[in-house]
Amino acid sequence: MVEAVQVQLKKGVLELCVLALLSGADAYGYEIASRLAQGIEMGEGTIYPLMRRMQADGLVDTYLVESATGPSRKYYRLTAAGRASFTAQKAEWLAFSGAVNAILGATS
Amino acid sequence: MSRQLFMDRLRAGLRGLPPGAIDEIAADYETHFADGAAAGRSEAEVAAALGDPDRLARELRAEAGLRRWEAERNPSAAAGAVFAVLGLGAIDILVLLPILLSIGGTLFGFFIAAVACLGAGGVVFAAGPFVVHGAPIAAVMLTGLGLMAGAASVASLTAVITIGCVNALVWYGRLHMRLLKPALEA
Repeated sequence: MVEAVQVQLKKGVLELCVLALLSGADAYGYEIASRLAQGIEMGEGTIYPLMRRMQADGLVDTYLVESATGPSRKYYRLTAAGRASFTAQKAEWLAFSGAVNAILGATS
Repeated sequence: MSRQLFMDRLRAGLRGLPPGAIDEIAADYETHFADGAAAGRSEAEVAAALGDPDRLARELRAEAGLRRWEAERNPSAAAGAVFAVLGLGAIDILVLLPILLSIGGTLFGFFIAAVACLGAGGVVFAAGPFVVHGAPIAAVMLTGLGLMAGAASVASLTAVITIGCVNALVWYGRLHMRLLKPALEA
C-alpha cells in the first residue's frame, strides 16, 4: 500500500514537473526525460506514455523540427489549457507542500 | 538489452493497437535511442534507463482500452476495458477474478432472463388473444405488455449495474498502473 501511494504521488507530481518544464521552453522527448528522470526516479520510458496522455487531454501539442542529424524531432509545447492547468496545479502544490512542511517543521 | 531487442519487445507488446499508434509510439522510442547515442550513451544504458518494454507496452495498451471505454459506452468497449485491466496482470486483480466472474455471470443471467421474458411477453401480447378463451382480450394483451415492460426494466437495470461494475474495475486498474493516469484525481 505504501508503494501504491508513492506511485500515485509520483504520477501526479510528474505531470506538474513536465508542465513546469514546458512553461519555460518547448522541449523534445529526450530532453524532458533526461531532466526529470534523475530527480524523480522514474524510468525515462514513462515520459512517453505521459506525453501521449497529456496530448490526448489537450494539455500539450507537438510540432516537428527538421534536425541536421537524423530524423526530424518532435517538440512539445503547452496549449492554453496546459498553461491554465499548470497555474492551478502549481498553486495547489505550493499550498499543500507548504502545509506539510509546516507540520514537519513543527514536530522536528 | 540492445536497441533492437527493446524495440521488438515493445512492438510485440503493443500488438492489437491501431498500426498508426504503434508506429508513433515506436518512433518516440527510436528517437530516444538516437538522442541517447548522440549524448554518448550506449544502447544498453539507454534501454536500462527506459525501463521494462513489456511493462511499458502493457500500460500503454491498457490505457488505450480504458480510454475507448470512456469515449464510447458499448459492450465491445466494455469487454476491451475489462481485458485491458486483466492484461495488467497485477496479482490482486487476478485474485479478484473469481468474484468478477461470478458478478459477470449473474449479470449475464439477469440479462438473458430479461430477453426471454421480453420474448414471452411478446408472444402473449400477439398470440394470446387467439389462444386463450374465456378471458377478456384486453386483459390478455395487457398481461403481455406488462411482461415486456418488466423485462425492459430488468434489462436496463442490469445495464446500469454492468456499467457501474466496469467503471469500478477501470478505477481499480488505474490504481495499479505505475506510469499513466493517476487514479485519484481532483
